[in-house]
Amino acid sequence: MTSNSPAIAQPNAWLLPAAALLVLISLAAAVFLGVVDIPAEDIVAVLTGGGSSEARAIILDIRLPRIVTGILAGIQFALAGLILQTITRNPLADPSLMGVSQGATLTVTIFLLFTVYIFNPGSHTVAELPIGWLPAAGTVGGMIAGGIIYLLAFRLGLSPLRITLCGIAIGAILHAITIGLIAGWGSARIEIILEWLSGSLYARTWDHALFLLPFTAAGLAVLPLIYRPLILLQFDAAVARSFGLSYRKQFSLALLVSCALAASAVGSVGPIVFVGLVVPHLARFLAGRHFPLVLPLTIVLGAVIVTLGDLIGRLAGRAEEVPIGVVTAIVGAPALLALLRKVP
Amino acid sequence: MDARKSSIAISLVVVATLLLIVVGLLPGAKTLSIDAVVRALLAPDGKIESILVWTLRLPRSLAAAVAGAGLAVSGYLLQSLTRNPLADPGITGVTAGAVAPIVACFVLLPWVSSFYYPFAGLAGGLAAASVTFWVARGGNGRPLHLALGGISVSLFLGAITIYVLLLAGPQSTALMFWISGGFAGRTWSHLLHMLPWVIIGVVGALLLHRVIAMFSLSDHAAAGMGVQLNLWKPILLVLGICPVAGVAPAAGPVAFVGLAAPHIARLLRPRGTGWEIGLTAAIGSLIVTAADLTARTIAIPKELPVGIITALLGGPIFVYLIQRGRLEFKGERA
Repeated sequence: MTSNSPAIAQPNAWLLPAAALLVLISLAAAVFLGVVDIPAEDIVAVLTGGGSSEARAIILDIRLPRIVTGILAGIQFALAGLILQTITRNPLADPSLMGVSQGATLTVTIFLLFTVYIFNPGSHTVAELPIGWLPAAGTVGGMIAGGIIYLLAFRLGLSPLRITLCGIAIGAILHAITIGLIAGWGSARIEIILEWLSGSLYARTWDHALFLLPFTAAGLAVLPLIYRPLILLQFDAAVARSFGLSYRKQFSLALLVSCALAASAVGSVGPIVFVGLVVPHLARFLAGRHFPLVLPLTIVLGAVIVTLGDLIGRLAGRAEEVPIGVVTAIVGAPALLALLRKVP
Repeated sequence: MDARKSSIAISLVVVATLLLIVVGLLPGAKTLSIDAVVRALLAPDGKIESILVWTLRLPRSLAAAVAGAGLAVSGYLLQSLTRNPLADPGITGVTAGAVAPIVACFVLLPWVSSFYYPFAGLAGGLAAASVTFWVARGGNGRPLHLALGGISVSLFLGAITIYVLLLAGPQSTALMFWISGGFAGRTWSHLLHMLPWVIIGVVGALLLHRVIAMFSLSDHAAAGMGVQLNLWKPILLVLGICPVAGVAPAAGPVAFVGLAAPHIARLLRPRGTGWEIGLTAAIGSLIVTAADLTARTIAIPKELPVGIITALLGGPIFVYLIQRGRLEFKGERA
């Protein structure tokens, strides 16, 4: 099940080592660069267990949790996008285009407003809000949105075009409700919601990383299970069945995995749009259609792109940092548009 | 449907809209009786009733009706122009294109008068539409490409808009209500700023209905009948974006009206393109007036943004159109 076009050369042997090098470089850059300048030797001291308390606080409590959360979220977005693109046979599928992100955003907004207005009407500081529960709230919403699209998709006969259009429609409805709720009731907490809406790693703690870890681990652990079906699902239902695959079952499982990965990631860091869309394409661009190589490359590049995007956002604004969701939208949208021009 | 029936259909929709506008004068924080409203309408005096009617409720209801007609015709023009049943100011990115520069003006250039906002909206809408249509042409104008191109343009502009809102800080609450689409607190001056832009779009479309009818055939057919495509395409595009540019500064984005109204009008099968455009405008007015009335009465004294109501109404219509396979294009069934 390698390339189905003779024009595509065998993948290069240096791809994975190069990717590993890229990971190291971007990780080092993310740790060593930041708004607060810390001398490199101090950072090395912190990493080896020493260092001043101030440097330790910045590196261990601010930068590292943020980087780890970003890496996990990046892996999840990219993997979710790859699975979605493969099973819908739609090269343009992406959690942010399919309503999953919008569903997660809606439940997070509802949760914040609910806690502010029902349980905590007098609260005025961020610290009093149950922010630790936001990832869970977002995950639930994203899964529900995914479920709605799944049900519609089966009624519509799994046509990629219809699934995509339904995803757009559901996404638009959920997004409108979110914006409406914020406008109608969100005045007190609007900035938290806005920042979260734009997709941000700002102030992410080890708690966020710990929340994501089981999802990332489960997603990676399920991969061997859906690996062969995924390769077959690239073709259509008939081909998959002729290989003895229960199409409906495998499609459902893959969609569930994809939704869980995307929803929990959106729940933790907000909708970082286009990572799920662009990264698998980048991987395919580098590795041809060699799925055994596309898969690991997608995972690695997802982590790298979110790490670098967040670093750019952190450094670009200095005082007022640019949320990574804004960075990826500004880079990703033109990439998608260029892609659309090429895809027949 | 012949011309007489078509004109009756349009009249019925217009009468229903006018009725809704009058009924809409009754409810609110202070509910008025019918004869109080009639008295205030016919003989305005300085009393609280006539102030409520003339300065608060009438202008916003009229603004909703005018905005609805404009957005609906905008959708009609975009759909005819692209021969794509999905085209709509929201889906093609035109709305996001109009909203982003207006938010940017509001936050970054606060000294710019709101009189100029529609111009900023027009420029942004044109730019966004150009990108989307350029992308859609790459896919031979297929609905999927148009939708994905439009949505990525929207996401791109939406990301910038949200970032600008973050920069705006405390101002963001008011802006947030505005970008969710609504007519709360709209005055005569909002209506007057919007009106010329909507008139340009609606009257322009009615005058050019013959050209538009040619466009809904194929490029070859239109060219064969002597329509200069390269001349009329940009004109129709500008005409289609004018109402959005005019409505956006006053009401923000109001989703799905431009998509749904032309489809509903076509379901009624009026005679000829001119009648279809008139019916589309009337239905758009009715939808937004009804949505606005719902938005401000459903949770008195709170107001919902009208954009939510139209999205809740229009989204399912969209899904229905997909399910019924009505989004056919060049032999491809959606």
